[in-house]
Amino acid sequence: MDVVVCLKQVVDPELPARDFAIDPRSRRQAREGRTLVISTYDEHALEVALRLKEQTGGKVTTLAVGPQAALGEAVRKALAMGADEALVVDEPRAPEWLGAEVAPVLAAAIRRIGPVDLVLAGCESADWVERVVAPLLAEALGAACVTFAARVEPADGGVLVRRMADDGVHHVAARLPAVVSVASDDANKPRLPKVKDIVAARRKPVTVVATADLEVDPAWRLPAPEVRGVTVPPRTGTCEMLGGEPAEQVEALVRRLRDLKLL
Amino acid sequence: MRELTLRPTDYYQLDELLDDDARLVRDTVRRFVDREVIPHIGGWWLRGEFPRHLPAALGELGVLGANLPVEYGAAGVNNVTYGLILQELERGDSGLRSFASVQGALVMYPIHAFGSEAQKRHWLPRLARGDAVGCFGLTEPGAGSDPGAMQTRARRRGGGWELTGTKMWITNGSLADVAVVWAKDDEGEIRGFLVERGTPGFVAHEITTKASMRASDTSELVLEGVRVDDDARLPEANGLRAPLSCLTQARYGIAWGAVGAAAACFEEALAYAGARTAFGRPIAARQLIQARLVDMLTELTKGQLLAFRLGQLKDAGRMRYTHVSLAKRNNVRMALEVARAARTILGAYGVTLEYHAMRHAANLESVDTYEGTHDIHTLVVGRDLTGLDAFQ
Repeated sequence: MDVVVCLKQVVDPELPARDFAIDPRSRRQAREGRTLVISTYDEHALEVALRLKEQTGGKVTTLAVGPQAALGEAVRKALAMGADEALVVDEPRAPEWLGAEVAPVLAAAIRRIGPVDLVLAGCESADWVERVVAPLLAEALGAACVTFAARVEPADGGVLVRRMADDGVHHVAARLPAVVSVASDDANKPRLPKVKDIVAARRKPVTVVATADLEVDPAWRLPAPEVRGVTVPPRTGTCEMLGGEPAEQVEALVRRLRDLKLL
Repeated sequence: MRELTLRPTDYYQLDELLDDDARLVRDTVRRFVDREVIPHIGGWWLRGEFPRHLPAALGELGVLGANLPVEYGAAGVNNVTYGLILQELERGDSGLRSFASVQGALVMYPIHAFGSEAQKRHWLPRLARGDAVGCFGLTEPGAGSDPGAMQTRARRRGGGWELTGTKMWITNGSLADVAVVWAKDDEGEIRGFLVERGTPGFVAHEITTKASMRASDTSELVLEGVRVDDDARLPEANGLRAPLSCLTQARYGIAWGAVGAAAACFEEALAYAGARTAFGRPIAARQLIQARLVDMLTELTKGQLLAFRLGQLKDAGRMRYTHVSLAKRNNVRMALEVARAARTILGAYGVTLEYHAMRHAANLESVDTYEGTHDIHTLVVGRDLTGLDAFQ
């Protein structure tokens, strides 16, 4: 099964809180000087792709859109984890793009890669959490779409997906080609790259193209939401002490949590 | 724009000097240690238990003897990257780093440097995968700092050899599938032999009374008329220089590893000082605590710079054994003092194994002694500096 995995590079979510800042011009998270990492769920998507490859053979290609220079480390890591090759769309504006802007470019890049069976992406990005890329991509590619997959197994001519939903777990069968967005699960915990594979990743093929080199279908372009303002919520904290014996404290705690509609 | 927070364990932004490979390898090993070691290490240490599943896991990760060539199954990374691997392992525990140092620098290295092609082909891939474990028998009950005084003898018997003697304080001794044993032949020449577990007359006794390195296997090796063929001899190892060159490799890793132990203790103390309040404020607001933290940071940063430069010299083929002595001597004593200072800041909590400083401090007492004591390295550098030999 030939799989493309979309990887987004984001500011490390483990960044010290005091270094989190909003760039007032772009109304986006400031990236300069910060460590950039592969968005959390995208790493899970890559793990799903690598396991599918181990079961069915085929090829795993990673796809990332962003400034080429900054993307090196993320791409390298993905190749070290086991992806076969990488396509990088060198696009300096990408860090400011929302899902509606990046999806058509991803679709065009996937078309360029050639016929693929499955496209995987994280169920949401660690920065904007829009959850729109996979559905938009499926629309643009005319592919089936399944979101929030915990597990993806090969099945006759398609995939079986165990999907996390508010009301429980859905088991969904999808024909190929399909776009599947991946949530975290014990079964797709990202592997650690091996030292040898980190060294060997340098020799794996990385193709770099500019957005202008891609044929982005104007029909896929969707109006992106305009971000009017972004603010960092003030950190507030109050501490309420519950007195009494442990059993009374537990009762009081449950009562308070119910009052706060947290239970 | 406001300046970004400096990461306390990279205050001089050494990360910028590392290549992508080195950073990625370092971060990978760090994550491995965070996942697989740190949650369990207190228990292993308390029970005096070496985690026997780890050699295979470390082999799978590709960190064992990682600076040796790819053709024998190793990862072939440069020495700075190799140093960073050991730094991250010792951030977990000195015993874990000791395991990796012995396997890589004291077993794989001598087989690679002094072994026959058949020995290399047989052992190096197995040792790199962690399928086989090795140990290094040089020190004896009566010969530590003075290995030339060893009593272990290798006598020619027919086409082979008979080994007799006792080796002491041998890391991995009871675990090992193969021991690199150093012995004097009839002419007084020191030679190295590969002795396999189960060879008649060869036994290991684990030392269980340690108050240090408790998650590491330390053993006594007894050889009573152990017969080995001549193909068990390392053909290129002749004289004391051979085992000493192995120790230079291992000490190189220790100079890096100590930085990892110190960083773990410093981070723990810094976090604790920020969270613990006394007299209505975090103790980190107090001048005495700040002075301790700044001293720790300063010494840690100096140790990092020393290790990094040592790695550059090794990669350039210009590292001398005296460079290694200086770095091992400084960085281990630095780490020991940082661990003790961290323990002090942690107060009573610092003596428990829920925190890490006490365990690191106890371990580092061994690291300060083994692979050349602090005093011996003083005299090694002193001899280089003055041209006068204090050992005579």
